[in-house]
Amino acid sequence: MSNERASGGEGMETSYGYETVGEGEKQGRVNAVFDRVASRYDLMNDLMSAGLHRVWKDNMVAALNPPRKRGYRALDVAGGTGDIAFRILKSSGGQAHVTVLDVNGAMLAEGQGRADKRGLSDKIDFVEANAEELPFEARSFDAVTIAFGIRNVPRIEVALGEAYRVLRRGGRFLCLEFSRVDVPFLEQAYEQWSFHAIPRIGRLVAGDEEPYRYLVESIRKFPSQGDFASMIERAGFERVRYTNYSGGIAALHSGWKL
Amino acid sequence: MNRRPEAERGAIDPLMLEMLVCPLTKARLVYDRKNGELVSEGARLAYPIREGVPIMLVSEARHLEDRPAPTHRSGY
Repeated sequence: MSNERASGGEGMETSYGYETVGEGEKQGRVNAVFDRVASRYDLMNDLMSAGLHRVWKDNMVAALNPPRKRGYRALDVAGGTGDIAFRILKSSGGQAHVTVLDVNGAMLAEGQGRADKRGLSDKIDFVEANAEELPFEARSFDAVTIAFGIRNVPRIEVALGEAYRVLRRGGRFLCLEFSRVDVPFLEQAYEQWSFHAIPRIGRLVAGDEEPYRYLVESIRKFPSQGDFASMIERAGFERVRYTNYSGGIAALHSGWKL
Repeated sequence: MNRRPEAERGAIDPLMLEMLVCPLTKARLVYDRKNGELVSEGARLAYPIREGVPIMLVSEARHLEDRPAPTHRSGY
């Protein structure tokens, strides 16, 4: 067990929260977590972020600023429930086309149900696939987004390379993820909240503590803002920047394929 | 979730089909309408389509020599 933050992608492959698991084992374990929380995913995010994830996601899509013209294509990786896809569609005035990709069928079923209810099925595709092996031609998308998904991917650098491959020249990569709090008092308070309160609330509300503990621990293992920015650069992206949200509880990373 | 008519479950949007490639070989796929599968000749794999969602995972694909996999999927 190790609670050290990874500085590059190393160790994320075999870290399941603080537990070390065999190579190739992480995906299955993470999948089991999301099978258990799919229908309560919003609740889970509300707990982890005190409701702020909605604001952060709005900010992410505002930063993307999709054009209000036809032909714009976005891929949202690990986007099962459609949270980001619906925002992109709205922001583009219904002009964009979004492909939602997730490795977890239960999360996609949730998103598909929501898309049907909102009458958006024509503008959204759902694909079950792995972020490390994207089933798309090179240069297919104008934007690739991933929100609260990258830390669950075993080989992060492989997933970043795939995002780069499927983007067109001039395309943009945006990644929203829980990150390292850089305000001392807030850091302590957040630590208390996440390690003590969240798993307990998970048990009370969802009857299950373990998936929530995984989520908290996996957040602490994920590389800090600067280290993650370097990984994005190594994948080939240019003009890599990040913006902290809420004192670094989350961060938005941005890079361009130029 | 919404249950679609039987005939639609293995169907796929033509635009989607145009965009998809085999996750292993990155080569184009052939749509097998009868079995509701996307066939990667190079990888000798057939990826299932369930509820209109292509399942582009090697772990879920059928090796081409085998019989078609049952369409029922555990979990939901």
